Amino acid sequence: MITTSSKLFYGLGTLSFVGALVWVVAHDGSSLGSIALIFLAVSLLFLGGIASYVRDGHVLSTDTTAHASAPAAQSASGNSWWPLASALSLGMVVVGLISSPGIFKIGVALSIAMFGEWMITNWSDRASADATYNDKVRGWVVHPLEIPIGGALLLTVIVLSFSRIMLSVSTGAGPIIFGVVGTVVLVGGSLVSVRRGVSKTLVGGACAVALVALTGVGLATALNGERHELVEAAEYDHYAVHPCGEEAEEYDEEASRAVSAKSSVAATVIFKDGELYAEMDGFPDPLTSISLQRSYDLTILFRNESVGEHRMILNYGNVVEDLGGGVTRDSKLQACTALIGEGGEQAIIVRIPKPSSASPQSPYNIVVSGVEDSSIEVLVP
Amino acid sequence: MSTVETMKDRGAEPMKILPRGHAALKASLAVSALTFLASCARDAPQDTWQPAGPNAEQIDNLQRPVFYVAGVVGVIVLVAIGWAIWRYRDRGQAIPEQTHGKPVVEVVLTVIPALILLGVAIPTAGSIFKLAKTSDTEMTINVTGQQWWWEYDYPAVGPNAEQYGITAPIVTSGQLVIPENTKVLLRVTSRDVIHSYWIPKLNGKKDSVPGRVHLLRLEGAKPGIYAGQCTEFCGLSHSYMRMEAVVLSRADYNAWVANQLEAYTSPAAGTLAAEGEGVFIQQCSRCHQVNGLLNAVGEPIISAPDQYMVSGAAPNLTNLMTRNTFAGASWDLLTPECREDVWKSDSATFGAKYLNGVTTDCLNQKDLREWLRNAPGKKPMYANPENLAATGGKYRGMPALGLTEDQINSIVAYLLERK
Repeated sequence: MITTSSKLFYGLGTLSFVGALVWVVAHDGSSLGSIALIFLAVSLLFLGGIASYVRDGHVLSTDTTAHASAPAAQSASGNSWWPLASALSLGMVVVGLISSPGIFKIGVALSIAMFGEWMITNWSDRASADATYNDKVRGWVVHPLEIPIGGALLLTVIVLSFSRIMLSVSTGAGPIIFGVVGTVVLVGGSLVSVRRGVSKTLVGGACAVALVALTGVGLATALNGERHELVEAAEYDHYAVHPCGEEAEEYDEEASRAVSAKSSVAATVIFKDGELYAEMDGFPDPLTSISLQRSYDLTILFRNESVGEHRMILNYGNVVEDLGGGVTRDSKLQACTALIGEGGEQAIIVRIPKPSSASPQSPYNIVVSGVEDSSIEVLVP
Repeated sequence: MSTVETMKDRGAEPMKILPRGHAALKASLAVSALTFLASCARDAPQDTWQPAGPNAEQIDNLQRPVFYVAGVVGVIVLVAIGWAIWRYRDRGQAIPEQTHGKPVVEVVLTVIPALILLGVAIPTAGSIFKLAKTSDTEMTINVTGQQWWWEYDYPAVGPNAEQYGITAPIVTSGQLVIPENTKVLLRVTSRDVIHSYWIPKLNGKKDSVPGRVHLLRLEGAKPGIYAGQCTEFCGLSHSYMRMEAVVLSRADYNAWVANQLEAYTSPAAGTLAAEGEGVFIQQCSRCHQVNGLLNAVGEPIISAPDQYMVSGAAPNLTNLMTRNTFAGASWDLLTPECREDVWKSDSATFGAKYLNGVTTDCLNQKDLREWLRNAPGKKPMYANPENLAATGGKYRGMPALGLTEDQINSIVAYLLERK
């Protein structure tokens, strides 16, 4: 006898085999899709075989005592919210299809999670005739996923909220807030660990209130936007190579995208007391001549330690553009920082395409705008 | 019920089972013996147990005691397990009383490993700091990895210029040349994907990561060639991404530097090499730089590999024949006999033989010609011009240039003079 669910598996398996054949014909012998479909068909037929063997887990009609005691005869443990959550997730998928890929992707992820939870709950509700055991067995299956994912989501909310706050407040207030929050967490945690009698409800309640407050403030500051220096820095796109004619204002030295760039610079160029010199890893002394690699994304950090605002200019040859009709234009290749105030710094990323020997008439160098008598020779092999 | 009893009960013959067990035992012993004997290889150019410089010795001094301690612990554990298996094997006896918790044993078994780990951690931390030291650097070299070769450029600044006479940048590939007993600091980075630089006899490995500069100390105690291999899977020809470090005496190193800085000399007019120079300009100079090479109107020819290569670089061939290898040190430029003569020479004669470079008699014509004939056929490099859409038409290695045999002859003649 072919049981109900095995019919479904056999049918889908056969359909997958047919699909594999159609795929091969339609895709000019391409095998990747057909391999996937055949794999699917084999899996479905295997499941069909299992369903046939266990007769869909049906209780024999002659076994009347099992009609009440069999796992399948048990009612669900309670109202399930998973169908509603699944429907909302599918709604998000539809909205995402129309509006934005980001919402679509979140919808797909949520749909998989919600449908998964729904399936597992349905299964565990009838895993045995014992409701307590069923509850336990659900925990065994989903807690290893639910708890770390839930923890990661919680951590994401905390990090995002806190980072929005830190990006919103001034550079002066940031360290103070960081210190105060860190101290409160440390002292609070120490007190709880020392006073073992403190109730779990009190600790949980305090954490929940702190989380709600943090999320609320984070949301508010996110809506309010980042501090104006960061907004200006982002608008200026200070890691792009700009034409050196325009001079932007100094911006926040702790800009949000500066951390990784600063962590491994090819050279740090310092302008101090009217003198320009460079520091490079591997060279213990200050350099007035540096060697930079060709065809490589170089991060060069400029630090102004002189009075007033200054900008660094990297000259790295010239480029001849063909304007058509036999007309060419010879342009200087330059990379510039913005105007940097005393104590400020900026990293620029530049790729030098040709060796310095290609430009004997205009040697590669680093200068500071307005300062004629100090420069750094740049050698590019 | 024991297994033996079960077999007896079923009327099985135990002797039929035992030979199979003996065969498995013999096979295990044979594999163990072969594995052990493999450690006795003398000609092992990438053997981490044969340090040839203070940095590698630092690692060796750490790994040997750790290995011995781990070996002793391993033997004790295995013997204890074996004894327990034999002593308490199932002989049909009653299951003994089950106990839980033995504080003294637990404390001892926790404290002993903790002390061993502490004993390993202290010298390990010391070695890490010593290997990371840069303040005593005497020479600095940029090492840049790309699919699938290493470029070395010697900055003509600081101590390099002042103490070692590197008055203009030197760019080479495949073989890193350093003076003996000199604390060299490598600034390791990458132009495309993550690679890893490792000369086992001179130091540990260091990842080369795009956008980051990692520092690696290197020092060779005596003249010779030390082999290495990229140790981070980096694509199709990862296994062909090799390197060699050449250690020369100070006098030989000065001679090497002087040779690298010599001005370009064109081949004599009317020779096959002169013909090869023309073919080189036409076919090769788009990507490969030869310093001093001039075009028809006397202007320097500057290669533009950034227009043709994903990495934006191709090996500089100015002094190709001063090296012993080509194509990412995958093949030797020397014939096997000449190569062995250089590799097996003693410290006193090594420098002179290495500085002799590649001569006509010693040139490995076979591999070099095969390379020029069809480079991607010799080393897989995603160089099919019909499949470059993903890289915007740029190659990851040298494409097949469709050179004629006459062109190959002339290019080989031209390259032979590049030293």
